[in-house]
Amino acid sequence: MSDPKMKFLVVDDFSTMRRIVRNLLKELGFTNVDEAEDGQIALQKLNSLPFDFVVTDWNMPNMDGLTLLQNIRATPSLKHLPVLMITAEAKKENIIAAAQAGASGYIVKPFTAATLSEKLEKIFEKMGKKAA
Amino acid sequence: MSDFSGMEDLLQDFLVEAGDLLSGVDNKLVDLERAPNDTGLLNDIFRGFHTIKGGAGFLNAAELVTLCHLTENLFDKLRNGELEITPEVMDVILSSTGAVRDMFGYLEQGVQPGAADPHLIENLRLAIAGSLSHEVAAQPAPEPVRAAAPLRAVAAAPAPVAPSATEPDWNVLFETVTGTAVAAPTPAGVPSAPVVMHQSDDELAHKSPEQIIKAAVGRRVTDKPGASGPVGRRDSEKQRDNSIRVDTARLDQVLNLSGEIGLTKNRLNALRSDILNGRNDTETLHALDLAVSQLDLLVSDLQNAVMKTRMQPIGRLFQKYPRIARDLARNLGKDVELVLSGEETEIDKTMIEDLSDPIIHLIRNAVDHGVEETQERLANGKPEKSNVRLEARQEGDHIVILVADDGRGMNAERLRAKAVEKGLITDEEANTMDERQSFNLVFLPGFSMASQISDVSGRGVGMDVVRTNIQKLNGSIEIRSSMGKGTTFIISLPLTLAILPVLLVRLGEQPFAVPLSMVREILPIEPAEVQEVGGRATMVVRGEVLPIMPLSSLLGWDPVQTPEYGVLMQSAEQSFILAIDSFAGREDAVIKSLDDFRPKGVAGVTTLSNGQIVLILDMKELLGALGDSRGGVSRRALLAAMDVPALAA
Repeated sequence: MSDPKMKFLVVDDFSTMRRIVRNLLKELGFTNVDEAEDGQIALQKLNSLPFDFVVTDWNMPNMDGLTLLQNIRATPSLKHLPVLMITAEAKKENIIAAAQAGASGYIVKPFTAATLSEKLEKIFEKMGKKAA
Repeated sequence: MSDFSGMEDLLQDFLVEAGDLLSGVDNKLVDLERAPNDTGLLNDIFRGFHTIKGGAGFLNAAELVTLCHLTENLFDKLRNGELEITPEVMDVILSSTGAVRDMFGYLEQGVQPGAADPHLIENLRLAIAGSLSHEVAAQPAPEPVRAAAPLRAVAAAPAPVAPSATEPDWNVLFETVTGTAVAAPTPAGVPSAPVVMHQSDDELAHKSPEQIIKAAVGRRVTDKPGASGPVGRRDSEKQRDNSIRVDTARLDQVLNLSGEIGLTKNRLNALRSDILNGRNDTETLHALDLAVSQLDLLVSDLQNAVMKTRMQPIGRLFQKYPRIARDLARNLGKDVELVLSGEETEIDKTMIEDLSDPIIHLIRNAVDHGVEETQERLANGKPEKSNVRLEARQEGDHIVILVADDGRGMNAERLRAKAVEKGLITDEEANTMDERQSFNLVFLPGFSMASQISDVSGRGVGMDVVRTNIQKLNGSIEIRSSMGKGTTFIISLPLTLAILPVLLVRLGEQPFAVPLSMVREILPIEPAEVQEVGGRATMVVRGEVLPIMPLSSLLGWDPVQTPEYGVLMQSAEQSFILAIDSFAGREDAVIKSLDDFRPKGVAGVTTLSNGQIVLILDMKELLGALGDSRGGVSRRALLAAMDVPALAA
């Protein structure tokens, strides 16, 4: 399922963090990565270019990750997209909110390539099941 | 050894970006003091700490994570209206940003920062609990020796994100979210954040008291990182200085232009082979002419575009000053607001770095000396709060930076008296000085107006350094002041250091370039007007007696002919007339430095349009060389011997 050509969109307002996620994805063999600085820019990109996976931070100016997720799920052309939420919190209410909004996964900073890989595998597995 | 091997790039990125973020937070804190209930501000500050925390986690900077996390929690409560900002809370917040900045200092040296001051952590926790009382906040920091015990207690106490509290729920919730069961509670299935938090607590508990004391003591503001730090500091600083953030649009422009230049080069190549093959009809020559002028245009566009990549908004420099001004004013019991404007003005990056200290000094001076004590202001019918303005703007090919206060202004007479008292000038010199010259006395080394030396300023080192630093950037600084109304320092800088406007002068047939920034005017030297004062040739220009220094004698050449022209040069120390044979015009020189071989008095070389190489003279060094190399022979005697006969001829 994990096709190395998959196109990722990494959404974070902190460019250092985008670079970290990008590097981790590269370690896992995913090199087709685009970036967006906040939810609004991400939505524009998602609406104009094809993407296969969204990795988004939670806390961002203009549009936060949760709103972005809700928007993705409310858009027919995008709602199938897997969305992995990244956050610095392991708070219950955050996780519940993410689950309710339809997040495909949830990962807490800081994480290693191994953790990210594991989360991605889980999501791919689930997608594979659905497709089957 | 760096604690961050393999992560240097990431660390540099983080420090640059997080540093900007923290400066932004600092400024917003100053705003917040005036508008404590502004939700937008509270949200922004919250996000600042949150983002720094996120990045710090990847660098394994556990102590920075803890500190940011606590501060963030405090802001979470503030923005939700659960807590209110009191002066005590504000103090805690400000020391917390200070501590974060100190930790950045350690990271810059490639060292993992130790735990924050336990007193600060304690206060943060109390503030979050809403039980920070005045007494607690005002309590002096515990003695370093006793610091160990309370820190351990704090470390043992459950943190707000106590791993044990969130961990059991996690797997259940993870299942809910992902819809996949966590097969077994394998260690790998546990998210790493709590683990890291946990480790940090453990580590803390296992640290020896000495380590903790060291960490706690090392966090003093006065204790600049570096003393005990590893030698890596310089390198990492260098690395940081060498990176620059450039708008991609600007890089794209550079790319576009180099592409177009490539195309034009191809065109020229084709034309060359045509011409070498004997085609020289009008059409070919016209095409050549066209291609060359196009190349000309493109190259100058490219030069501009590349220069622009070095330009940064000065706001990045300005944003750290409001906090400094606030702290200073508070220290001195004054109410001062630093008003910024023109932050978007762009200036060469190297200059931004070199301007930092001079501007801090000017702001300090304004707050300390410029602005009156509150009583004095009220007595003079001025509002209690004073404004210090920090402004930048572009004026033609110059950048102008103003530091202006609305304080008491400078008293020319008192300045002169003080300078005489300190033996910096003689009575006669004082008597001939006008207002502007009197103000400029503050730039003399060793000059200080403060009768009492305060913490902030008044040591008499500084203003001369400020001026020297500005002049190193080919800039100038001047003072305008009016009694009772305030003082303004005006810094004027060239847009870039890469291009130096020069005046081309000739000695015989040999051209030399002198920096245009020093040139005030050009005048003919009439032998009849040359007077001898104290054995040296001088000329009177608008009442001012100026020495004439022939370029030939500065260079140690034998005069070939009588100099016909004088260039009135103004440098930091003195004004003088540089006597030369003739002019070759002015030019924007691109300076090539002579790295390996640099004769004294030569700043670099430049190539003229006709391909001729010209030396750019460093006047200051030339004048200095004259004094040094001739040892005991006074300049006065030397000049009189050399130029009076030459001029009389």
